[in-house]
Amino acid sequence: MACCQPNIVESWACIATSAVALARPRQWPLGMTVMRRFLTPNWILAGAAPLSLLLGWLIGQFSLGAIGAAGALCALAIRNPNWRPSRGRKASFSEESPAQMDDWSPPKNTPRPPTARRAPADDGLVEQMIAHGREALLLRPQIAANLNDSDLAAAQVALDEAMAIVPQGVVNMRARCYEDLQEADAPRGERLVQVEGFFLDRYPITNGQYQQFVDGGGYEQMSLWDESIWPAVLGFTDQSGQPGPRYWRNGKLPAGKEDHPVVGVCWYEAAAFARWVGKRLPTDPEWVKAGCWPVTTDAGRPVQRKFPWGDAMDRRLVNLWGNGVNDTVSVTASPGSSSVGGVQQLVGNAWEWTSSTFGNWEPVGRKIETTMPLKAIRGGAYDTYFDMQAGCQFQSGETPLARKHNIGFRCALGFCDVVLTSGGMDMPAVASPEQEETHA
Amino acid sequence: MRTGSLEMESFRLAAYTVPCPCYICGGGNTFDSELCRHCHAPMALAHQATTQKIQPRMIAAIGPSGAGKTVYLGMLTDMLSRQVDDLQMLARGAFSIKLQQHAMAALARCEFPNKTPNEPDRWHWIHCQVLRKRGKPAELIMPDLAGEALLEEVDHPNTFPVIHSFLSKCAGVMVLIDAPSAESGQSEEDFHTMKLVSYLCELVSDKKTGWQSRPVSLVFTKGDQCENCFEDPTAFARRHTPGLFQQCRERLKRHRFFAVGVAGAVGFRNESHGRVHIPLRVEPRGIIEPFKWLLDELGNSSGG
Repeated sequence: MACCQPNIVESWACIATSAVALARPRQWPLGMTVMRRFLTPNWILAGAAPLSLLLGWLIGQFSLGAIGAAGALCALAIRNPNWRPSRGRKASFSEESPAQMDDWSPPKNTPRPPTARRAPADDGLVEQMIAHGREALLLRPQIAANLNDSDLAAAQVALDEAMAIVPQGVVNMRARCYEDLQEADAPRGERLVQVEGFFLDRYPITNGQYQQFVDGGGYEQMSLWDESIWPAVLGFTDQSGQPGPRYWRNGKLPAGKEDHPVVGVCWYEAAAFARWVGKRLPTDPEWVKAGCWPVTTDAGRPVQRKFPWGDAMDRRLVNLWGNGVNDTVSVTASPGSSSVGGVQQLVGNAWEWTSSTFGNWEPVGRKIETTMPLKAIRGGAYDTYFDMQAGCQFQSGETPLARKHNIGFRCALGFCDVVLTSGGMDMPAVASPEQEETHA
Repeated sequence: MRTGSLEMESFRLAAYTVPCPCYICGGGNTFDSELCRHCHAPMALAHQATTQKIQPRMIAAIGPSGAGKTVYLGMLTDMLSRQVDDLQMLARGAFSIKLQQHAMAALARCEFPNKTPNEPDRWHWIHCQVLRKRGKPAELIMPDLAGEALLEEVDHPNTFPVIHSFLSKCAGVMVLIDAPSAESGQSEEDFHTMKLVSYLCELVSDKKTGWQSRPVSLVFTKGDQCENCFEDPTAFARRHTPGLFQQCRERLKRHRFFAVGVAGAVGFRNESHGRVHIPLRVEPRGIIEPFKWLLDELGNSSGG
């Protein structure tokens, strides 16, 4: 993947990749994508240096080639006065490891509402990627190693604004039929699951964010899609036959719904978007953990909330059936409904795809069969009739190819997938049990 | 009172000499009958009509067995009781809430309600008042008829007098059709519904007052399992139930196609007595429209 500080080896790799891809008609989309991604002034200048040397060698005028290469490198240096080679920055959490973040408190940075930001055309690739909400890609260890400190900090701040932290711990996953089970059978209907710490988008993915994926050629980049689904991708079109969510028209989001959750996308489209931004869909236990926010007491059994804000439904906080809206609303419409960790609108407005299979928690003998395996969805939608079915513990399912009017998604990211430093993420240092004992 | 003697209280016998006509079939009953001894309709309907001096109109939800009549009526009454689309339903009599209670309790448990039994004395009846922002309140009677009983009556008229009497007097009807079955090419659904429409047209064949001129809403149910029917129910009918579509065009002056869905998705569980379908969530869609259209049509036909 690219960054805005190229080096000679990478530029050659880029040229080679593009050439190979363009030489094979089936790989033209990939080739065009690589070319488009690398056609920035910095990359052109970086590529000009080796090309000029090569040209000079070919025509027998090596000195002319060397002068050209030097000129290109000078121009590159003038354009990037702060550039310095990276020194193998390590992927680390500095003092704190993700596993030590049980006592984490919400970050002080104000969460950024998920508006799709438009980057100026002449911005560098880092700025563009951050503007497109793809900062997670920049924080991948292999890419972060090539970023300068300011770009890395910018990416970390962007990630901090866009995603909330959900600490590691156990979560109690209950079967759909749990309430109907006899007391003796109740243990069969619940299971404790260990969840590693992860980041979860503070808001569901909006139409505006998804528009950038569509405009960025997300439906043409086959590497983003599961190979098994390639034949179906051509059918993921909007009302006018353009690639995009089902209820869009002419490849454009519905007017006035830029900040509404994107709906009419199947599970594969959600997964492709998540890959595009360098994230993934949350697993079912991860989603429940973010909403229920379990607290393990001395008894060893986690105490969980029914709804992100508490145990009682408050219909003023959520968009469910009977609220008189009968449509999606802005993802920022109900700030009071946020979870303890600062994740907004987990309940109501639109169901959310998870990466897990539906029905995993049903006890033996009570399994729900379906004609094809379903993916788990959580959280209820604007037309969910029963309050209980919008609760954090309620799991429903849908065919992964279904493009429903009330199913959207949000993305997750494992702690271990990105490079983070304490400065960027505002993490409190967590003492180990030994340190606590020493201090006492 | 003296020991060993029984007072005649002959005045009580007088009440039994006055026949109390059933509101549905018109048959005579005693004043203390709970159900009509002729058609098994609740006599409370007749008592309410007499004491409250109201003449409720009747609306039927008919369709083959398994089309979703109980779920639809249960969902409709529950939604209307919460006031939706400027409509508010008020039950008249405790018996009128039984269907709503039965259906919604099942759906809340993520189950579908049990199949309506064939015996008319076990059917749920709804007598209600529907308040509208525009227009007068409507007094309605809507029973939850058993699909198998309906088809039995269609095949062998007068097997179920209550169905015969009720459909003769109905002001409008909602015909429920299983959309996934129709879409999958099973012509049974088409045939069953054609039979029902044909039965209606023969039942009261007068051109002015018969079913030819009464409003009929044709409702494709289980739309969650075939979303196409929501986009254009009429086109869906033309494609997947061509016989019914033509029959309606030729024989029903006032009809319209609709699509509804109650469950967002459905799974099933294999149990000892067979496959049991399970709603994976409840998200009603298009429930009110067929009823509202029918109500508007009834308002038009009565000059209001």
